[in-house]
Amino acid sequence: MRPYTYAQPRTVREAVRDAKPGTAFLAGGTTLVDLMKLEVMSPGRVVDINRLPLDGITLDHEGLHIGALERMSDVAAAPAVRRHYPMVAQALELSASAQLRNMASIGGNLLQRTRCSYFRDVTTPCNKREPGTGCSALEGINRGHAVLGTSDACIATHPSDLAVPLVALSTTVHLASARGTRTVPLETFYTLPGDTPDVENVLRPNELVTGITVPRSPWAAHSLYLKIRDRQSYEFALTSAAVALQLRGRTIVNARIAAGGVGTRPWRLTAVERALTGRPATSATFEAAVAGAADGARPREHNRFKPALLRRTLVRALTELQENR
Amino acid sequence: MSRSPVGRETERVDGRLKATGAAEYSGDYRAPDLAHAHLVTSTIARGTLTGIDTAAALASPGVLRVYAAPDPRLGLYPITGPLAGFVENYVPLRDAEVHFHGQAIAMVVAETPEQARDAAARVTATYDTRPPRTSLADEPHVPAGPTISGSPSSLNILAPGVASIDAALAASDVVVEAEFHQQMQHHAAMEPHAVLAVWKGDQVTLYAGAQVPSAYALGTAQRIGVPPQNVRLITKYVGGAFGARVILWSDTPLAAAAAREIGRPVRLVLTREQMFTLTGHRPQLTQTVRLGASRDGVLNAISHRSVSERPTTVTFPMTPAHATTDALYRTSNLHVDAQLATLDIPGSRAMRGPNEAPGSFALETAMDELAVATGVDPVELRLRNYATKSPSTGLPWSSKHLEECYRLGARRFGWSARSAKPRSRVEGQWLYGTGMATAIYPAHRRAASVRIRLLDDDTAVVSTGISDFGTGAATMVGISGADALEIPLTRVTPEIGDTLLPQGAPAAGSSATHATVPLIVNAARDAIKELKRLAVTDDRSPWHGANADDLRYERGVLHGQGRSMTFGSLLAAVDSPDITALAESAGEPDPRYVHHSFGAHFCEVRVNRFTGETRVTRFTTVADVGRVINSRAARSQLVGGVIFGIGHALLEENPLELDTGRLASSTLADYLVPVNADVPDIDVHLLGRPDPILTGPLGDGSEEAGTRSLGARGLGEIGTVGSAAAIGNAVYNATGIRVRDVPITLDKLIEHL
Repeated sequence: MRPYTYAQPRTVREAVRDAKPGTAFLAGGTTLVDLMKLEVMSPGRVVDINRLPLDGITLDHEGLHIGALERMSDVAAAPAVRRHYPMVAQALELSASAQLRNMASIGGNLLQRTRCSYFRDVTTPCNKREPGTGCSALEGINRGHAVLGTSDACIATHPSDLAVPLVALSTTVHLASARGTRTVPLETFYTLPGDTPDVENVLRPNELVTGITVPRSPWAAHSLYLKIRDRQSYEFALTSAAVALQLRGRTIVNARIAAGGVGTRPWRLTAVERALTGRPATSATFEAAVAGAADGARPREHNRFKPALLRRTLVRALTELQENR
Repeated sequence: MSRSPVGRETERVDGRLKATGAAEYSGDYRAPDLAHAHLVTSTIARGTLTGIDTAAALASPGVLRVYAAPDPRLGLYPITGPLAGFVENYVPLRDAEVHFHGQAIAMVVAETPEQARDAAARVTATYDTRPPRTSLADEPHVPAGPTISGSPSSLNILAPGVASIDAALAASDVVVEAEFHQQMQHHAAMEPHAVLAVWKGDQVTLYAGAQVPSAYALGTAQRIGVPPQNVRLITKYVGGAFGARVILWSDTPLAAAAAREIGRPVRLVLTREQMFTLTGHRPQLTQTVRLGASRDGVLNAISHRSVSERPTTVTFPMTPAHATTDALYRTSNLHVDAQLATLDIPGSRAMRGPNEAPGSFALETAMDELAVATGVDPVELRLRNYATKSPSTGLPWSSKHLEECYRLGARRFGWSARSAKPRSRVEGQWLYGTGMATAIYPAHRRAASVRIRLLDDDTAVVSTGISDFGTGAATMVGISGADALEIPLTRVTPEIGDTLLPQGAPAAGSSATHATVPLIVNAARDAIKELKRLAVTDDRSPWHGANADDLRYERGVLHGQGRSMTFGSLLAAVDSPDITALAESAGEPDPRYVHHSFGAHFCEVRVNRFTGETRVTRFTTVADVGRVINSRAARSQLVGGVIFGIGHALLEENPLELDTGRLASSTLADYLVPVNADVPDIDVHLLGRPDPILTGPLGDGSEEAGTRSLGARGLGEIGTVGSAAAIGNAVYNATGIRVRDVPITLDKLIEHL
C-alpha cells in the first residue's frame, strides 16, 4: 500500500469538490483496501465518504430507493426489499460472507472490481490494470472468465451478484459530481471492455454514486436469483440468473431476465424475455426460450462449459420460480 | 478415585485458550525493538537474476535493510548430510539462480509490517529467462526411488507360471483399466507461516510452527551456521500444518539471519499468496490402475502405475500405490510402479495422506468400476478380496478389523437400501447416489522421548517436545500421563512444543500418538520405581530400610507396611521437590508384522440435474485405529480428514500455467477449500480395538500402574484416505458418469446429464 492523503467530508458537495485524478472514494473498503494492499490500486488521495448522508431504504410509488452507503446486510434484511424485490435480497445474501456483507456498501458493490486473478496479481500483464500490457487471461487459466461482451483486450467477468437483478429490473443509478447530479440506467452505466478495459463505467472523474432506484413493477415480487458455483458458499458465480415473471393464469405476460458470471458486465437477456412473453410457463417454453441465451458467446480454453451452463441455469431458475409460486 | 480418562470425551487442555484468543501463535509473540520482514518473490520459473533494483525500496519510509539475491550479508549455508532431504537444496538469497515461480529473491526489513510490504512492492528484478519444464507428460520419467517407509516403489509379484502382469491381466475374465489425474493441492492451513527470531548473544530463540521441532531447529542451525545448541524453537500453538510444516523452508532461516545481521528481533510473516509457492504442495499426479478379476469379482491381478513431479529444489516423491494398492487386497499378481518427471516448479511436500489419499482415490474408484463390471455389490466385492496377510510382504497384521468396519458402516449408513443402478433415485431437481470406499494408513513407530516429573504438590508434569498443530496432541499427552500414573487429568500438566524439552515424536505420518503413549507408560513406570527407591533409601521416609518390592503404587498413593502416603506428601517429607524419569525409544518396528489402521467410508451425494453441482448429503466413517485415547479429538480428526476428502473430490486444485510455470490459483478465493455449507453431518464411529503388538503387550488390567500398553494407533490422516473415492463413487451412482479427474466439478458432468 502506498502512502495517500485522507479526507473525511460531511457533505456530498465537499466530497466531489477538487476533482482530480488519483482520488478514490472509500465506503465499506472491502474492495478498495484489499486492492490497495495488493497495489492493484494506489490512489494518492482517499476520500472517506462514510459520514455522508447517503443512507435510507424507502419504498414509494416510483419504486425502491436505496442510499449508496446502505450496507449489503441491511438491504438484504429490509422487509420492503424481501417482500417486493425478493431476487435483490437473495442476490445480496448469496454474495461474499456475512462479515463482508456487514461492511460492504451498495454503491461499492456496484463498483467492485473483477475477481480476475491476473488483474489482482501485479506481476502479470493486464490491460485493465495497466493498459497496453496485454491480457494474461486470454491464454491463461480462464475457467471463471466471461464469454459475453468480451474483447481481445479483456475477458474479465463482472463480479457483482446484486447488479444482475438490478439490471433485470431496469434500475437507475444516481450520480453526483461538481458539475451537478444526473441519473443513468444501470445497464448502460457499465461499459464493455473493448479496447479500454480500464474504463468500466460512465463515471466522470470524482463523480460519486449516491443511490439507486429500482422501479416498481408487477413482476419484481415474483422473482428469483439463482447462483451456481463449485463451492456452496463464499464464492463468486460461475453463472447466475435473475428471473422475474408476471403471469396471467399460466401465461407469461412479462419477463425480466439477466445473467451473471458470464459477462463483462451484468447481462440482460432481452431476447430470452421476448421468447418467454405470451407463452405458457412450462418447461418446454423455458427450454425453447433459453436456446439462444448465449448467442455470440466467445468461450476460451477453460470456460467452454459456460454457454451450456448459462442455458441450464436459466431453465433451473425459471423452474424453481414456478415451483415456488 | 477418578476413572481413567482414556477413551472418554475429553475437552482439549488448551481449548479455552484457543477459543478465547489467549493462546499465542508464532505471529503473536512480541519482542522489544521488533523489526518486520517481507519477502519479494520471483516472477519467472527458471533462469538467472541479472539485477535487482532496490533503490526505491531503500528510500521508502522505515526501511532498515533490503537483502537482494545474491546477498552475502545473511550468512546462510547449504545443508548436507542426514538433514539434506529436510530442506530445499538451494540457499535462499545466496545466488542468482531462479528455480521456480514464486521463489524468494529479496527481503525487506522495516520498522512496521506495512512499511516492509510497501517497500517490497517497489523492488524490481530483471532476469535471464530459460523455458521452464512444466509438463508431466513431456519430460522424461525416472523411477521414484524408495517409498517413505523404505520399501521399493516398484513391485512385480507374479504367481508361479505367470510371465508378466500384462499376461495375468489378459488371462482375467474381467479387466478394468482406468486413468486418473489431479493437479497440485495445497495444505492451506489457517495460520500463515510466521516466524519471530530473537537473538541473545550467540543464542537464538525461534517462534515458528513446526511439525518436527528438533529437526527444524537443527536444520535452522546448519542453515545459519551456528552450533545446534544455540538454537531453541518454541512451537507451542500451531494453526494447522497438514505436512506444510514438516520440513524447513526458507522463511525461518531468512528471519533468523536478518535478525542476526541487523541486531534486532525480526518477524517474518508470509502472505497467503506466498504460502502457495514457498511452503509446499501435494504433487500433481497421473495414475493408471488395472484390475483383473473373475466374473464374480475375485481379483487375480492388480497393477497401479503413477507419474508425478520432481521439483528441482525439494521433492516429496509420490508413490501412491504404497500402503494402498500394495497392502489392501488379496491377489496373486501385483504390480506397482512410480515414476517422476523433473519440473521447474515450487518444492513439494507431503500433504495429509500424502500417497494414500490420491492412491486410494485411484484404487477405490477402480474397485467401484469392477463392482459395476461384475455386478457384485461394492462392499461384498471388498470382502471377497479381503487380505489376511500383506499382499506385498506376506506378513500378518498386528491388528486388523477392517471387515467389521465394512459391516458396521454399511449398517449405520443403511447401505442395503441402495440400488446399484445409476440414476435410480431422483428427487425434484436432484439425482441422489451412494458410494463407499476403503481407508488404510500405515502405522510406523518413530523415535521419541518423554520425561515425567512427579511434584511434591501431587501433580505430575509430562514433557515431550512434540508439536500440536490442532491434533489434540497436548491433550493426548495429558490423558496418557493421567492414565499411566492413575491420577486425575487435572493433576497432570502436559508440556510440549519446545526444543528444550526431551525430543518428541514427529507430528507427521499419524505417528505421534503411538510413538508417544508407550513412552509415557515407560516413564511412569520408571518414575514410580524411583519413587519407591526414594521411599526405602531416604531416612526421612517412613519406609526407610524397607524392601521396595513390598511397596505398592496405586492411584498416586504408595502403600506398604500398613501405611499410605501420596507421592506428593512423600516428596515433601523427604524434602525432595520432584522425581524425574526419562523414557526414550528409537521406534524400531516389530519385523514380524505389518501395521496399518483401517476404515470404511459410506457417502451419499446429490447432483443437480440442471446445473451439475455435487453436494455431499450424508457421510458415515467407521475406523479401526486401535484404542482411542480421546474420543472427542479422535472423532474431530476423522471428521477433518473426511472434509479433506470433500475438498479433494469436489473442490481443490491449483492449475499450473505451462508456459510460465506460475500457479494460477494461489489465493483462498481461487483455491477452494470446503466451507461449512459444503460439509454435512459426518457420522464417525471408532471400533476402539487395541492393537496388541504395535505399542507393546496390552496386559489384562491387573498389572501395576505404568506397565500396560494401551494399543493406540495414530489417526490424523486415515479420514483423508478413501473419502474422495467414496464421493466419486456416489457421483457415479447418482448420475452414471465416471469422473476420474478430480475435482469433480460441474463442467465435467453437465454435458452428460
